[in-house]
Amino acid sequence: MPPDTTQALTASRYPGSPASLRRPSAPRWRNWAVAVGTQGLRAGGLILFLAVLGGFAIAAPAFLTPANLGLILAQSAVLGILSLGLTLVLITGGSDVVGGGIDLSLAGTLGLSAATFANLNQAGYGDGACVAAALAIGVTVGLMNAVAVVRLRILPLLATLAVMNICEGLELVVTENTTVAAASPLLDGLGQTGPFGVPVLGYVLLAVTLALGLASRRTTLGLRAYAVGGHPEAARAAGIVPERYVAASYVLSGGLGGLGGIVSVAFLNSATGGSADMLLPVVATAFLGFIFSRRLVPTVTGTLLAAVFLGSLSNGFQLLRLSTYWVNGIEGALILAVVGATAGLSKGRRA
Amino acid sequence: MSSVSIDRQARLPRGTDLLRFGVPAALAAVLLVFAIAAPGFLTLNNVAGVLVNNVALTAIVALAMTLAVAAGGTDLSVGTAVDLGSLAFVSAIAAGHPVWIAALLGVLAGVGTGVFNAILIARLGITPFLATLGTLFIGHSLQQLTTDGGNPVYVSAASIPPALAFIGHGSVLGVPFVLWLLAGLAFGTWLVLARTRFGREVLAIGVEPQVALYSGLPVGRILTLVYGASAALAAVAGILLSAHVNAYVPYSGNAYLLDSIGAAFIGTSLSRTRRANVPGTLLGVALFGFVQNGLLLVGWNFYWQQVGTGILIFGALLLAFAGRGSAARGRPGAH
Repeated sequence: MPPDTTQALTASRYPGSPASLRRPSAPRWRNWAVAVGTQGLRAGGLILFLAVLGGFAIAAPAFLTPANLGLILAQSAVLGILSLGLTLVLITGGSDVVGGGIDLSLAGTLGLSAATFANLNQAGYGDGACVAAALAIGVTVGLMNAVAVVRLRILPLLATLAVMNICEGLELVVTENTTVAAASPLLDGLGQTGPFGVPVLGYVLLAVTLALGLASRRTTLGLRAYAVGGHPEAARAAGIVPERYVAASYVLSGGLGGLGGIVSVAFLNSATGGSADMLLPVVATAFLGFIFSRRLVPTVTGTLLAAVFLGSLSNGFQLLRLSTYWVNGIEGALILAVVGATAGLSKGRRA
Repeated sequence: MSSVSIDRQARLPRGTDLLRFGVPAALAAVLLVFAIAAPGFLTLNNVAGVLVNNVALTAIVALAMTLAVAAGGTDLSVGTAVDLGSLAFVSAIAAGHPVWIAALLGVLAGVGTGVFNAILIARLGITPFLATLGTLFIGHSLQQLTTDGGNPVYVSAASIPPALAFIGHGSVLGVPFVLWLLAGLAFGTWLVLARTRFGREVLAIGVEPQVALYSGLPVGRILTLVYGASAALAAVAGILLSAHVNAYVPYSGNAYLLDSIGAAFIGTSLSRTRRANVPGTLLGVALFGFVQNGLLLVGWNFYWQQVGTGILIFGALLLAFAGRGSAARGRPGAH
């Protein structure tokens, strides 16, 4: 496991727990158990995911129908796209929350871009102009973050917090705190159901994932981005300019926030307030995505799986007519369980 | 790691020590500009109003955050502690218990949240950010389940005990009770953090937990106390909030989360070593509060106020962080 993520995830900061005190003299069976445990955990995310899907499928026959799976994908589109943006920032920033990369402005960007899209739509502008404006807003917000973090060296947590405030304020200015309806050929098209009964929005999410996944795993740029996040000094020594990658990740993240805004308008047929509520779910999804990667690092596919996983939880609960009040708690407990298990295991591993 | 790297990044080159005064300067500038632009701004009435309505509760939550930040963490579940404290307090009063028992229950509910955090952080070794994020989500569910999806709990107007009215609206010697309490809590927190052995231990853990542990500090116990106290403070804010509105409104605590994070971190710029400190945090909260109020008085459109606040916070951050050493964006892997 690369040291940064391991540490970020496992809080070697707080070595007070008994596990780490025993570290120097860990017996061989412990290493063994840890090795087995680590492998189990690596596969564990997927196993858990499939188990939950299986459970829902047995309990609610409607769950596994293509139409419902497509619906889950479409319902996860906004959350997924935003979380992918945060994932990029985590990749280049390192996943240490306070000192590393984080983008708290994503939900605000979503709201502002959705509001802009819907307002321009109301004002009679065509789809092209609306899309361009929404994306431009996202990229501008991303640029602000990038300048604040890379040039002005403000802690990402704080810089993006201030930018989030600005975005949410502007959203209120644009919408005057009302719901702005929107209708256009593009929105109609996005609201359609595509091949295999999967809504077009689901395909949008998959396409974004595919593009970012390929870029991060199959290109030099992606490799270097991981290098920057993993060990900025080593990356610099290897001739990479970390600042460029970090800045680019914030700009891309902002752009994805803009795209998320368009998708959300398409999903709701309007721009509604309250986008700020998306912030914490986005953070949770991006971090939960770690469990779907073999090395417990932020990955594009891991984040997609996490978003879909959380989407299928709410969907399954609804189908089973269980109270959705439990969903948040289960989400929280899952994050804790996963991160806690990872923490325990990697402590042992470094023995 | 994190705070070590922050410390590293933050080590100021000689001569830039003046930057420590960025936040006080920003606050002074804000006060000056609004005093000129809005005639009613610097009146006693208005300042008292800002302190009671915009500053007091946020400040108490920010004190809670300061403790966690001083210990090298972040506490995203302060809002949860506010809510659970408020829920326990109001439910107990609605059930006819005396106010002091209700307040005790409220604080205990907060402490419960804090102990849960502490177990996750100190025992299981989960990073504070993620541990408290998990707590926040679980707390959300808990509130949904106990309130049937988010219905407020009211104290019926006929049965408001006098003590509750006093906590919410009373004053002593002409100064609102909330401000006395804030002053007491702030002084207490400052005393503990800046003037006691325990406070030095907390800061030591915040800088380098490994070293703190190897120096023989009971890291787990200290962190338990820190997160317990943090949640207890937040619960006090919750009790004050519910006494003010005679109700428990689900999820209202999260409104304080981002402001308190902002204030605690902006406040670190006041310290030579960039540690979280009580005066800095209070200045940060005051900055937010007076900017909001000032923009209101100048007659800015309500919706523009948030934009203005965001931009001004950004400016304060610039002042506080400008000229930071160009050390590598230090991250865990870097050392």
